[in-house]
Amino acid sequence: MRIVLLLSIILVSVAEAAEYAVVVARNSPIETLDSERLRDIFLRRRSFEGDVPLVPINLLGEEAVRTRFESQVLQMDRAQINQYWVTSHFQGIKPPATQASLQSIKTFIERVDGAIGYLPISMVDDSLKVLHEF
Amino acid sequence: MKLVESRVIGACMALCLLQSPVLAQDSSYEIGLGKSVNDWLTLGGYFSTEYEKSSDEHLLQLDDVAVMAYGEFNKRFSYLLELESVNAYVADFERDTRSSNFPPTIERLYFDYKHSDQLSVRAGKQITPVGYWNQQPINVLRETSSSPRFSREMVPKFLTGIDLHGFAPLGGDVTYHVYLQNSRDMDEDNINIKPESHYGFALAKQYGNGWQIGGSAGRFKEAVGSTSGTRTATRYWQLNSRFDNERYSLIAEGIVNTESAPGVGRARSKAVYVQGEYRYKPRHSLISRFEYFHDTGAAVPERIGILGYSFRPVFPVSLKFEYQWHQESSNNRFVSSFSVLF
Repeated sequence: MRIVLLLSIILVSVAEAAEYAVVVARNSPIETLDSERLRDIFLRRRSFEGDVPLVPINLLGEEAVRTRFESQVLQMDRAQINQYWVTSHFQGIKPPATQASLQSIKTFIERVDGAIGYLPISMVDDSLKVLHEF
Repeated sequence: MKLVESRVIGACMALCLLQSPVLAQDSSYEIGLGKSVNDWLTLGGYFSTEYEKSSDEHLLQLDDVAVMAYGEFNKRFSYLLELESVNAYVADFERDTRSSNFPPTIERLYFDYKHSDQLSVRAGKQITPVGYWNQQPINVLRETSSSPRFSREMVPKFLTGIDLHGFAPLGGDVTYHVYLQNSRDMDEDNINIKPESHYGFALAKQYGNGWQIGGSAGRFKEAVGSTSGTRTATRYWQLNSRFDNERYSLIAEGIVNTESAPGVGRARSKAVYVQGEYRYKPRHSLISRFEYFHDTGAAVPERIGILGYSFRPVFPVSLKFEYQWHQESSNNRFVSSFSVLF
């Protein structure tokens, strides 16, 4: 019984552990962003952090990292997100640009001023700065 | 700006964008999100058809047909152009007539400059940033085919001027608009009120639990020769609130107008509506709305009740049916529509 309980606790801990991170380039002046501001940036309600114009970047498709980002940071499911961007299309606002792979997101963030995206923590190295884990 | 000049500018702008070499680039298309060619240009549009039957009306119409182009020149400058044909085709079965009105008018043409999240500037013809309904005016984005009188008769739907807007420096999720018009509309066809001046402000706050509240106040003066026939100056005070979750939405808006005209004196009109939506299954919802409209010039206030059904196979495609009960029962009617945003 104790072993089952211990295993359950371990499994729950693993399930809740942060696997992904919202990151910017190491040389970015941005130090911290709370989840509410992150949500506004990826919904394109906000475009700046201080004087820095931001360039949010999404992973193309419905990979696990994107789905988790949408549910935990944006707090929306795919239908709600689709509805939001259809409404925004009428207002002349496009969704963030996408990249086809996690590696291309990493390269994009390293090279483009103001770029902000999300990656597995395992891909974060000295070229990036972690703002938020999820 | 003269009507012909503004239409020529709009048409030239559309032509320049269509002839741009950027169109040679390929990109994917998803219905409801437009065709994104590059950062400078996304193309889209919408249409709606409507069928209406009452004791003295029997209409089938291609209500709206519109094309849009918008894009970002860089991280701070962007634009939007929308050309629309209103009542493009109308078949009146009661009077056995057919009519068409295809030449498009400029629905919106504006440029945006983003200085910061606290201050952006929008200049040109734009939707007046008042309330909720006014800012989602097209059929496909609405919950019902019809619009409440609140949104049709109380405030100019469009503003040809400048709007300063952004997040208020109060902290929290509070946004503001301060807007000013000091000319006639860029294109006066198909607008509900034709002002020669209009100014006001709006505030809105979002709460994390799905609630939003807001309000606005302003003043506009109708141009000579507008629908009222007199140079009426109107002040308005407006409040709105909205709640949304996965299953329900509740919207309420109310406005009080005080109108004054030379030799006529003052009059006051009030309009309120409350609307609830219940999404009982994915893609299916039931809608009910109650409207109250009271013009002091009218003998009795009008009350309208609406019960509707909406089916969306995907969000940008909408099929709706509704029945309206009016204070004057001869105005009761059935309305249905099919609309698409592409």
